[in-house]
Amino acid sequence: MFTRPDNWAELTWQEKRERRLEKWINPEGLKFDSPEAEAGYKARATRLAKASKMEIPDRVPCAVPTGWYPAKNAGVPLKAVMYDPELMKKVWLKFVDEYDSDTFDGTLFFQAPVNDILQAKTMKWPGHGLADDSHSYQYVEGEYMKADEYDLFLRDPLDFQLRYYLPRTMGIFEPFADVPTFSSYQGLPQRLMAMCLDPRFVKVFKAIQEAAGYMPGMMEADAATTRAANARGFPVFRGGLAVAPFDVFADNLRGTHGIVMDMYRQPDKIHQAMEFVLPQLLSGAIAMADGAGCPVVMMPLHKGDDTFMSDAQFEEFYWPTFKRLLLGMIDEGLIPFPVAEGAYNRRLEVIADMPRSGVVWMFDQTNMARAKQTVGKVSCIAGNVPVSIAYTGTAAEMTAYCKRLIETCAPGGGYILSGGSTFDMARPENLRAMMDTVKKYGVYK
Amino acid sequence: MNDTATKPWAEMTWREKRDSRFQRWLNPPDVKFDSPEAERLYKERVTRFIKAIKCEEPDRVPVMLPHGNYPARHAGINFHTVMYDYARAKAAWLKYMDDFGDMDTFNGPMFVPSGKISEAMASKITVLPGLGLPEDSAMNQVIEGEYMKADEYDAYMMDPTDYNLRVTLPRTVGLFESFRKLPPLRFMFADMWVGALADPDIQKTFRTLLDLKDEYDRHQTANREIATIVLARGYPSLGGGGIMAGAPFDTFADMLRGTRGIVMDMYRQPQKLHQAMAFQLELVKAQIKNFPMTASPICMMPLHKGDDTFMSDAQFAEFYWPTLRAVFLAMIEEGLVPMPFAEGKYTRRLKQIADTPPSGVVWYFDQTDMAQAKKVLGGICCIVGNVPSSVVMTAPVEQVRENCRQLIEDCAPGGGYILAGGASIDKGNMANLHAMMDAAREYGVYK
Repeated sequence: MFTRPDNWAELTWQEKRERRLEKWINPEGLKFDSPEAEAGYKARATRLAKASKMEIPDRVPCAVPTGWYPAKNAGVPLKAVMYDPELMKKVWLKFVDEYDSDTFDGTLFFQAPVNDILQAKTMKWPGHGLADDSHSYQYVEGEYMKADEYDLFLRDPLDFQLRYYLPRTMGIFEPFADVPTFSSYQGLPQRLMAMCLDPRFVKVFKAIQEAAGYMPGMMEADAATTRAANARGFPVFRGGLAVAPFDVFADNLRGTHGIVMDMYRQPDKIHQAMEFVLPQLLSGAIAMADGAGCPVVMMPLHKGDDTFMSDAQFEEFYWPTFKRLLLGMIDEGLIPFPVAEGAYNRRLEVIADMPRSGVVWMFDQTNMARAKQTVGKVSCIAGNVPVSIAYTGTAAEMTAYCKRLIETCAPGGGYILSGGSTFDMARPENLRAMMDTVKKYGVYK
Repeated sequence: MNDTATKPWAEMTWREKRDSRFQRWLNPPDVKFDSPEAERLYKERVTRFIKAIKCEEPDRVPVMLPHGNYPARHAGINFHTVMYDYARAKAAWLKYMDDFGDMDTFNGPMFVPSGKISEAMASKITVLPGLGLPEDSAMNQVIEGEYMKADEYDAYMMDPTDYNLRVTLPRTVGLFESFRKLPPLRFMFADMWVGALADPDIQKTFRTLLDLKDEYDRHQTANREIATIVLARGYPSLGGGGIMAGAPFDTFADMLRGTRGIVMDMYRQPQKLHQAMAFQLELVKAQIKNFPMTASPICMMPLHKGDDTFMSDAQFAEFYWPTLRAVFLAMIEEGLVPMPFAEGKYTRRLKQIADTPPSGVVWYFDQTDMAQAKKVLGGICCIVGNVPSSVVMTAPVEQVRENCRQLIEDCAPGGGYILAGGASIDKGNMANLHAMMDAAREYGVYK
């Protein structure tokens, strides 16, 4: 937990970030497995911090994009791991013991039993909409908010959540579609009582109770795994998660089809709605980063990529509120870490409009040489080792790709070697080749 | 059926919408009358009210007797017994109905909660006989307070449901104390819900609620049974049909900020208050829009802080009236019948409140000067009232009769009048209630 010093308001954003990074590099209350583990942790965290700030570290840091790979590594089906927190813990720590990286990626925990009970309709996972041997889960996009429901959402978001969104996205919440609004306090206690009389709601509450039973075990396994990885010397380069205001609607509520229609038919509503969620995304990100004691806020980006929208649309719809969110985070001493899924080649000049060293950009399929020459002048950049090489290439191909990336992006600092996406099904020798290459070619002299 | 029934709802005028709602009230599909006679009387009574509401002349002045919870006393029980012994309550109300005989409207116990459930709820804003009040008290009482702080308007407006569940409920109802621990829920996806509701204290609240299920069922069933029998006998109900809404000002003045708080706000942050009332108005309008067909179109609206003594004329014009009027207009547009109950006195407000569509609003007055009301509102609003409770409870029969006669003389001409008490009685005597009915029959017949 990060606590602000008394003079917080007087600090510059760089000073705030420095306070936060210090706490992350020197975590209180963490008992390291050995003095070597402690030294390793601090060296890795310092390396990542320096790269993020566009300073020159001892060498290029490397974040091996673990994803669900630990399950493959242990020869265990993902499905088994998703239902067994103890097994998950064992499998993940086995990976930590067998592979070197500058980060621990976390467990990417998906609570399959909980989603089973809630009858989640927005997710598919092994054995539930996907084949038993699938190696990932899948988000199911849909028009979970109708075109004419922006006002409902804006006037009373929780009421919208309870009576529209949840019944559409989780089977167990379907009865909520038929209750009157919760926006009037008059008679609310009595109405909650009346809901409990209805057998359909009794089922909801019992399901939540049952699902809740799984939570402590899962959360504890997740926390214990992370703690153990930290104690072995591997820092987590992520203190929170946030998304771009546009993606809140494009991904979660309106879906691709819906949001595209809205950009033409009711652009003002999208703007109004983005304005509404912006401050809440910001305060949520700050709270998460405070709680985790790490200033890095990972931001998976979706609908702003080169192919989803035109340049003009990016500049009208995607970038302005997203930019303000980034600036708000920077101002609090956080390190926004947007992950630009897809390609961002046409966005590079636009996103370069940021305070120097404020943001760390992770790229997937973007041209890294151009990135280095544009946004790379003001922001640390990271990525983009292709999944295809990790899954199907040889170690030599991996080495060559990483070497070229380092040559292109490392000069002057401000680069983190990583994947374009997660390496769930990678060949083990390719993960090792990544680290070997960065140690061999990524050292700053 | 008339041709309004086949016209699409959106294309109807408000009068057509109201007529189709009146038809539903007049011909209730779910009522099985005891006899053709009961059905005939039911329709006669509803027609009487409909004509009065439309500012037309019915066969005679309709009467809403102020019997309140008097049926309990008539049967020798009190409010406390009604709270706990649902069977005796039911027997008392039915006995009163039979003993009294012909009247224009009747319904079961109003605002009497279940005792056992009230104990479990541990409300901090309602005290009841035996629960915060002496066991023989005649009724419930609301404890006003600053349940929303002066600087919380924005939090309320950002997400009213979230505010209700996480702030108002824990502050006002003991059982929901645990909801204080909920995180903001508005952007929760899937598993996060479970995490939020897994807290042991919150689980305990839900368990308590679930445990009260049978008790709640018994209470609801008893009330439903009374309502069914009353209707089957041919007595229409005026309440419980339309939406229960108040003045946007009162939403804040009564429930959230309290009298002291709201008075401060009128001086210290009038713009905030205006913004919040405009916001509240939108919420209420959203509930009114496409309101379903219900047993009756009448929307009972108890009003509090707009009376002559709570605020100045200028404050009424600035703070109270504009949003209240907008609620009326939204209801009227949907074919509903707003029936504000102006508790206290509205004599100084009459000119201002006359600014609504003719026959759209029914004003129920407590201590307002009725002759004055008729002069100002006649032909625009049906008016209802207002034999004082003191007269109904304590005066000799002749005085009740005389009081009613005078009211009818002042208010009945031309139609648009319903004889009623200024408030409801809990004690008193049957003879005075009969005197009101008799006066309407004797003096209130239109020729």
